[in-house]
Amino acid sequence: MALLSLQNISKSYTEGSTTVQALKQASLEVAAGELVAIIGPSGSGKSTLLSIAGALLQPTEGTVTINGQDLGNLSPKKLASFRLHELGFILQTSNLIPYLNVLDQLLLVKKMDSRVTKADKAHAKQLLTELGLSDKFKKMPNELSGGERQRVAIARAFMNNSTVILADEPTASLDSKRAFEVVQLLAKEAKERQKAAIMVTHDERMLPLCDHVYRMEDGVLTKEA
Amino acid sequence: MFLAFKELKHAKLRYAMMTAIIVLIAWLVFILSGLGNGLSTLSAATLKNINAEYVVYEETAGATFAKSILSEDIMEDLKKQKDIEDVAAFGASTISVGKTTSKDADDKEDVALIGLEPDAFVMPTVIEGEKLSLSNKKGVVINDTLKKAGYKIGDKLHVSNSNLKVEVIGFVKGETFNHLPAMFAVPETWRSYQYAAPGSDNGLKKPVQAFFLKAPNLEPEKLDKSIDDIETVTKSKAVNGMPGYTAENGTIMMMLAFCIVISAFIIAVFFYVITMQKTQQFGVMKAIGASNGFIARAIVAQVAILSVVGILIGILLTYATALVFPEGMPFNLDPVLVTTYAIVLLIIALLSSIISVRQIVKIDPLTALGRVE
Ligand SMILES: Nc1ncnc2c1ncn2[C@@H]1O[C@H](COP(=O)(O)OP(=O)(O)O)[C@@H](O)[C@H]1O
Ligand SMILES: [Mg+2]
Repeated sequence: MALLSLQNISKSYTEGSTTVQALKQASLEVAAGELVAIIGPSGSGKSTLLSIAGALLQPTEGTVTINGQDLGNLSPKKLASFRLHELGFILQTSNLIPYLNVLDQLLLVKKMDSRVTKADKAHAKQLLTELGLSDKFKKMPNELSGGERQRVAIARAFMNNSTVILADEPTASLDSKRAFEVVQLLAKEAKERQKAAIMVTHDERMLPLCDHVYRMEDGVLTKEA
Repeated sequence: MFLAFKELKHAKLRYAMMTAIIVLIAWLVFILSGLGNGLSTLSAATLKNINAEYVVYEETAGATFAKSILSEDIMEDLKKQKDIEDVAAFGASTISVGKTTSKDADDKEDVALIGLEPDAFVMPTVIEGEKLSLSNKKGVVINDTLKKAGYKIGDKLHVSNSNLKVEVIGFVKGETFNHLPAMFAVPETWRSYQYAAPGSDNGLKKPVQAFFLKAPNLEPEKLDKSIDDIETVTKSKAVNGMPGYTAENGTIMMMLAFCIVISAFIIAVFFYVITMQKTQQFGVMKAIGASNGFIARAIVAQVAILSVVGILIGILLTYATALVFPEGMPFNLDPVLVTTYAIVLLIIALLSSIISVRQIVKIDPLTALGRVE
């Protein structure tokens, strides 16, 4: 069964008198353990789709179901808690908190919910180790390279055992070698932890690492592979 | 607290400067409050010390001693009232005294001459020497601050512009009136100064300025009706009627209010700007799943930490400054007052963080997914 399912999603932005149809009847399903790529030119609606999948934006039409829960039925207050527990975000850049060290970045996610337990600490350390950051626990974001920072962001996205991982151009600021490594790790973690992951990317070279590829063109989503 | 502390540690300089501003404001507030307290003590300590509930003035005097003149005969009428437990006649004048007849201002001291019956219930305790007595009408007890001017028991003092002479027989402590050290004398001695000019007593028998009443259950309106030409006011109204008291207090209170308003503004603006700068960061946290409350708590905690630290340092500085103030300065730190203003400042600081909290609520987590334009 698909952990994430978008059915016939449409989204239009109204700015003054003009209406932009950013998404037209987009449908997408991601099963556990899969990494799905969405590729397409700038302005085609990829971020919009990801925001809707991430409960940050309401679709004009269509339904979003995550782990069996229809997001349309949740109050705004419930949505924040839903994001905390079911969704992991990996954003383009600068999405680490500048004054927290690597370990605290992960523990922050737990703090938002309740207290940090010993098990949480161990879990965070294990995630960071899996992502090759075992010697960086106490480093601050500005002491890390771009690739390391994105790996921390990946670890953070997995910290709460979320069902769905959403990545919006996670490799935008990386050179291709680093980018490849980061996506590889993302695919590996999704597989091992049986999560549904979606990644928006510009970079065609990342596609072999993904289970399925969708192409976005002017708000229309088509499955390629 | 977690976020609050981590960030304070990270941006030390920024928050240290903010704390410094709070310290300076708190310092100023506490100094002003000490000064205000000191001035009002000087102005009316004797009155404040008096254990009476009400003061009776002449009806037309507007509750000021200098304008009031009543006959001591009224005392009998007052004593007959069932709600009144005790009555004391009172009169005060500002005089200059000196050990010699020299006209040189340096040889003289300004004092408040206060006429009281030796056995009056409002008579302060003599800490050294003898009490007033009707058998020695020239004897006076004076405030112990006059020791600094070299006055001691047995000194004969000349009263300027009068042929009155008095003798120091004892000392009292902490008694000031109209900003001047008090000198207590029997009513007759006081009268011989105050009503020396013929006719200045309005033809009244045994004139005094006011009566203090020990009467916890008194209804002042009823009393005013039952005796002609008097006005009865509470003691605090009498204190406010002291010359300059309201004006002085008003000035200090206004400065305090300004300080507190300014601190509210500075804190509000500082945290508002910081919050605006961190919009992207808070957007990321919200996208990850932070609730408004989680982020708001971090900001309020920061304001609380900075304010508490700032106010505490301010208090320490104030007590340190009090040590170096010249002795005669009317500066009197009251721990109750200091605590009150500390709490007021803290509450104001916390309230001013509401603006930032409102800003946080407005932040859309969508800002985290920066659109590539
Ligand atoms: N908040 C918004 N208000 C109005 N138009 C928007 C908004 N967000 C996106 N759009 C428009 O929707 C379209 C898709 O944008 P986006 O999803 O960011 O594309 P992509 O991520 O593929 O570059 C663009 O035409 C963009 O201008
Ligand atoms: Mg985009």
